[in-house]
Amino acid sequence: MTRSVIDPISRIEGHLRIEMEVTNGKVTDAWASGGLFRGMELVLQGRTPTDASYIAQRVCGVCPVSHCHAATYAAEDMYGITIPNGARLIRNMVECSQFLHSHILWFYNLYALDFVNPINALKADIADTASLAVAAGTSGADFAGVANRLSAFAENGQLSIFTGNWFDATVGGSAAYKLPAELDLIATTHYLEALRYQAEASQISAALGGKMPHIMSSIPGGTTFVPTEDKLGDIYYRAKEVRDWVKGTMLPDTLAIAPYYLDEFTVGHGPGRFAAWGVFDKASMDPAERYLPSGMLDVNLNLTDPDETKFLEYIDHSYYDGTGGLNPREGVTKPLYKDYDVKDRYSWTKAPRYDGKTYEVGGVSRMLVAYKRGVKDVVTYVDALADVLKKAAPAVFGNASEKDLLLALDTTLGRAAVRNYETLYVADLLVSLTEELITALKEGDASTFTEHGTGNGEGVGMWEAPRGALYHFERVKNDKITAYQEIVPTTWNVSPRGADDTPGPIEEALVGLTVDDPEKPIEALRCVHSFDPCVACSVHVSEPATGKQFNTVTSPWGVR
Amino acid sequence: MAHLAHYRESHPLPFVITHWINLVGFILLIFTGFYIHYPFFPNFMSQARGVHIFFGFVIVINCIFRVVAAFFIKSAPAEGTRTVETDIHSWLPQKGNRHQLGAWIKYYLFIKKTHPLGAKFGVPQKISYGLIPFLILFMGYTGLCLWAPAQQVGFFSAGITLLGGLAGVRVWHYVFMWVFIIFIFIHVYLANIEGLSPTFMMFLWKEHPGLTYDPETGTITGYDDLGGSAPKTEAAPVAK
Amino acid sequence: MTTEESTISPLQARLDARGVSRRTFLKFCVAIAVMAGLGKAAAPDVAQALEKSTSGKLLPVVWLELASCSGCTESTAQVTTPDIASVVLELISLNYSETLSAAAGVSLDKARTDTIAAGGYVAVIEGAVVRGWDGNGLRIGGMKGTDLVKETCEKADAVIAVGSCAVDGGWQAGYPNPADCCGVTEFLKAEGISVPIINIPTCPVNPDWLVAVLVDYIMLGKLPELDDKNMPSLIFGESIHDNCPRRGHFENGEFVYQFGSVEEEKGYCLYAVGCKGPQTYAKCPITRWNESISWCVEAGSPCIGCANADPTRTTRNWVDTMTPFLKRQRNMRIGDLYFQAAPVAATVTGIVAAALVCHGFGMKAAGRTKGGADFEPIRTYDAKKLKQAGKEAPTTPINEGNVEKFTKGGDE
Repeated sequence: MTRSVIDPISRIEGHLRIEMEVTNGKVTDAWASGGLFRGMELVLQGRTPTDASYIAQRVCGVCPVSHCHAATYAAEDMYGITIPNGARLIRNMVECSQFLHSHILWFYNLYALDFVNPINALKADIADTASLAVAAGTSGADFAGVANRLSAFAENGQLSIFTGNWFDATVGGSAAYKLPAELDLIATTHYLEALRYQAEASQISAALGGKMPHIMSSIPGGTTFVPTEDKLGDIYYRAKEVRDWVKGTMLPDTLAIAPYYLDEFTVGHGPGRFAAWGVFDKASMDPAERYLPSGMLDVNLNLTDPDETKFLEYIDHSYYDGTGGLNPREGVTKPLYKDYDVKDRYSWTKAPRYDGKTYEVGGVSRMLVAYKRGVKDVVTYVDALADVLKKAAPAVFGNASEKDLLLALDTTLGRAAVRNYETLYVADLLVSLTEELITALKEGDASTFTEHGTGNGEGVGMWEAPRGALYHFERVKNDKITAYQEIVPTTWNVSPRGADDTPGPIEEALVGLTVDDPEKPIEALRCVHSFDPCVACSVHVSEPATGKQFNTVTSPWGVR
Repeated sequence: MAHLAHYRESHPLPFVITHWINLVGFILLIFTGFYIHYPFFPNFMSQARGVHIFFGFVIVINCIFRVVAAFFIKSAPAEGTRTVETDIHSWLPQKGNRHQLGAWIKYYLFIKKTHPLGAKFGVPQKISYGLIPFLILFMGYTGLCLWAPAQQVGFFSAGITLLGGLAGVRVWHYVFMWVFIIFIFIHVYLANIEGLSPTFMMFLWKEHPGLTYDPETGTITGYDDLGGSAPKTEAAPVAK
Repeated sequence: MTTEESTISPLQARLDARGVSRRTFLKFCVAIAVMAGLGKAAAPDVAQALEKSTSGKLLPVVWLELASCSGCTESTAQVTTPDIASVVLELISLNYSETLSAAAGVSLDKARTDTIAAGGYVAVIEGAVVRGWDGNGLRIGGMKGTDLVKETCEKADAVIAVGSCAVDGGWQAGYPNPADCCGVTEFLKAEGISVPIINIPTCPVNPDWLVAVLVDYIMLGKLPELDDKNMPSLIFGESIHDNCPRRGHFENGEFVYQFGSVEEEKGYCLYAVGCKGPQTYAKCPITRWNESISWCVEAGSPCIGCANADPTRTTRNWVDTMTPFLKRQRNMRIGDLYFQAAPVAATVTGIVAAALVCHGFGMKAAGRTKGGADFEPIRTYDAKKLKQAGKEAPTTPINEGNVEKFTKGGDE
C-alpha cells in the first residue's frame, strides 16, 4: 500500500492537492484538498449589490462572467425586477462566448496534454499527417510549419511549459500516451490554433463586456452595453468563425482521439447523481426552460426540479470550526486552520450536499439534464455520441442500456466528449442569439436596463459556470450587503468528506483507477482534469460575523 | 444695548477689497465645486472647471497677499478708535483680549450678561481667522493635487500618496469645503446678529456712530456720532 | 528548421509558419518600442533585437500563482501580438506555471527548483501573498505559500508582480482582509529580501503591458523606467480620463445619469455614474483589451479604478478606495460601517445652521440683536487685578445711554 500525491495539480484553475491510497496498483481511497482561503464573502459585506456584481466575479478568472451573472441575478431577485429583452440577449451572448472560450481552452490547452504528446509529434510524417487530417474530417493546417516550429523549440533544449512532463508515464504497464505521431502533430497544431480561437471567443466577451477576464457591463438591472448594428456585425462574424472552427476541428479531433483511449470511457465514474441550475435564459426567464435547463438527476436518472432548501454545507473535514451541515442561508463558519490530516480536516473547501447526497455538476450534468428535458439538439448530440461509442467498442457498449450509455459519458473521457458537443451547442446558440439581437434591435425590442430602487431583503442567483452549477445568495439592508454566500461548481465536485464520511465526487471517481508510478499517476490526473476543477472560487467562508479576528485598524478614511 | 463706533481705520480699503474677492471667490468655488463633484445639470462642465480653477488660484493668491499685507498695512486694533498699528497684531493675541476666551464663550452662552470689552476680534473669531489661511492653502494644495497638470509634480504627487491616493484627496478636498461652509455660516451669523453695521463697514466701507474705545486702557471713552445725528438716548454724547 | 545559410531569419521562418506577416511583426515592434519609451524610430532596432534574442537562449520564467483567480494567466493567454504560443515557445521558457505546464505534482515542483538552482530567471507573481494562519492560508505542494514566494523570489533576477493582487493584495486585501493578504513588495520588504520588482496592476493584468515589459527586459537586459511605486512610467503615467475617447462629452457637460437612457445611447461621459477615470492612471484607453477590441468605458461601464494600487499599503487596494463604483466618491468606514462623506458633512452643517438659528432666537430674547448687550465697564481680567490690589472695580454696564456718566472727567 502506497500513497500517491499530486500537489500541485496543474492545468486547472487554483490550488488543488490530490492524495490517494494505492493498493496493488489501484486507487483504494482518495482525498481532494483545496489549498487556498481568501474570503470573498467577507469582502462583499457592507458594499452595494452593484459593487458585488463587479467584485464577486473576481473570485475566478476563468468563469468571471458566470459569477457576475449569478451576482446580478441574486441582486435582481432581491430588487424584484427582471431584465429587459436586450439585456437578456446580451448577457446570454457574453455567457456563451465565455463558455466557448473556457471549453476550448480547457480541452486543448489544459486537458489534451494528458493525451497528446507534442514532443512525439516531431516524429510525424507530414504527408501522412495531412491525409490523416482529411480522413478524420478535421481541419488541415501548415503541419510542416508547426513541425519546424516544434523542432526549433526542441533543439533549443528549453522545454518551457513542457518541462518535467509526464509523457513517459504508463498505465497498467503500457505507455500512457498512445496516439500515433501524426495525430499528435494534428492535435498539437490545433493546440496552437485553439489558443487563437479561445482568444477570439474572449474577444466576443470583451466586445460586449469591455474586457475579458472580468467583464464590466453586466450589472443589476441589465447591462451597460449599448448594442449597435456595427458592433453586432463584428460579433456575428467572430461568432461564426469560432462556431465553424468548433464544428470543423474540435469535434473531429475529439472523435479522432477517442478511439485510442476507449478505456477512459469506462473509468472515473462520479456519484451518478447530477445537478444543473440551468443557463442561457429564454424570454420566459424560467430556469426549467433555459437553453440548458435546470434539473436534478438521481442515481436512476429521474428528473426533478432543484430545491434550494435541500442544500447543506458540511464542514466536518474542512478547516472551519465546528461540525455538521447548514443551509447556506444560515451558514456559520469560522476559519480554523489545523495541520493537514486526511483523517481529520484536510481542505479549505466545504462539503455541499443536496438532500444529504453528493452531486456532480458540470458539462455532463447540464447535457444529461437537457437530454432528459428533451432539448432537441442536445438529444441529437448525445445520441450521436452514444452511437460512436457503440461502434467503436461494441464489446463494451454494444448491448448497453440507455442509462449505461448515458453514464458512460460520466467518465474520464466521456466528460470531455460530451462537453465538446456542448461547445458546439453553445457555439450555435451564440450565432442564433446574435441574429435574434440584431432583429430585436431593428424592431426596437432591445432595451438594456431596468431601473431599481433601494434594495432590502434576500435574493438568490442560480446559474451555470462552464464547469457547473453556481449559486449566489445575498441578504441586503438599505442597499448594503449584510450576508453573501456562494456555492460554486467545484465545491460540489472537489468536496471533501461530509459528516458521514462519504467521499466527494472527485474522491469517489478516483477510486479504482490504475496507478503504476505513484510519482506519475497519469490516469488519476486525467480523471481529476476531466472535472475541470476550478479551485479558487470553491474556497470561501460563508458567514462573516465570526470570522473577523484579524488585526485591522479602522479609521474614517478606511485606511492607515 | 450698545456697540462701538465703526471707523474705516479698522478695515483699511485693501482689506475691504480682499474681503470682496473672498466673498465672490468662495461662492463661485463652492457652487462650481459642487457641480464638479456631481454635475447636477448638463452642459456646464468646462465652464465650471474653468471658473473653479481660475478662482482657486485667485483665492490662494488673495490669501497670500492678505497675509503678507498684514505685516505692512496698518489698521485699528479695535473698533471705536482711529489709532492704527500693524494689522498682524490684531490677528495675533493682543493685550486687549488675553484671558478672554472664557468670557466670550460665557457671553455667547448667555451666562455673562455684559459684552466683553476687547480687541477688534473676539477670541473665537481670532482663532478661526487665524486658521482660515491654512485652510485656504490646504484647499489650494489638495485642489492642485486633483488638477491633472499638477499631479505629476513631485511636490503634489507626494501629497497624493500621503493623503491616500487621488480618491483620498478628493475626500479631503470635499470635506474641508464643508468646513468652509460651516465657517461662513458662523462668520456671517456672528458678524450680523448684533446689527448690520459690520457688514456695511466691510463691504461698503461705511462708518457708523457708536461708543469710542481706548485700546490702551481697555475702557469705553465716550460716544462718537460722526458729526451727525444725536444718539437715540437722552444722554449727551461726548466727543473725544 | 531553417538553416544558417537561408536568407530569412529563424524568427521570420517561424512567423511565416504561423502566417504572421512581416508587417504585423513590425507593427508589434513599434508598439513595444513606444511602450518601452524608445519612440517609434527605434522599431527596427527592436525587431533586430527580438530576432537575435529569440534565436538564442530563452529567458527562463517561473510563474507563481498565489491567492489569485488565475485571471492574469487567462488574460495573458489572450495576448495576440505576439500570440501566447510565441511567448511561451519563443520569447520565454515558461518552466513553471500551474495553469499551463504539462507536468504536475512533484515533477512540476522539480521544474521550479531546477530553474531556481540554475539562476538567471525572472519570477512572475500572480495573486496576493496570504499571510493568514502563519502562511497556511495557501499551501502548494505541501509548502506554505509564503515560503514558496521567498524561495522563488530570493534568487530571481527580477520579480514582476502582475495584477493588482500581486501588487498590493487587490480585492483580497479588501476590508476586512479575511486571509491577511498583501502584495509582493510589502511581503518581500518585511522578509528583508531585496530584488528588483516591477509592479503591473489592473485586474486582471493587461497582457500587452506584461509582454511589453518582458520584451523590454529581454531586449535591453534592464528594467523599464519605473515610477515611485515601481510601475512602468510609460504605462501608468497618464490618467484614463485624459486619454478617454469620451473626454469631449465631459468637457461639454454631456453625462450619462442613468443606464438605459438616451444619454447612454449617445455615448456620453460616465462621470456622473461614478467613473473613476479621473483618478486612475493607466493606458487602458490606448492599449485597450483583448487585441484592442474594446475596453471598459467603450462597453458602457464606468471605470472602476482597478489600476489604483499602493504596493506598500494593502489598505489602499482598489476595492476599498474605489467603492461604491457607481458613486462619485469613495466610501469612508468606521469599523464595519460604510458611509459617504456627503450626507454626513451636510448633516453636520445642517446641525450647525440649526444651532445658529436657535442661538439667534436666544440673542433676540436677550435683547442683543439691536446693537448687542451693554459693555462690561472694565475687562474681567482687569477687574480681577484691581481686586487683588484691594481696589473696587466698577460694576455698572455701559451703553449709549449712560456712557457720559462714566466717561466725563475720566474715571467714575
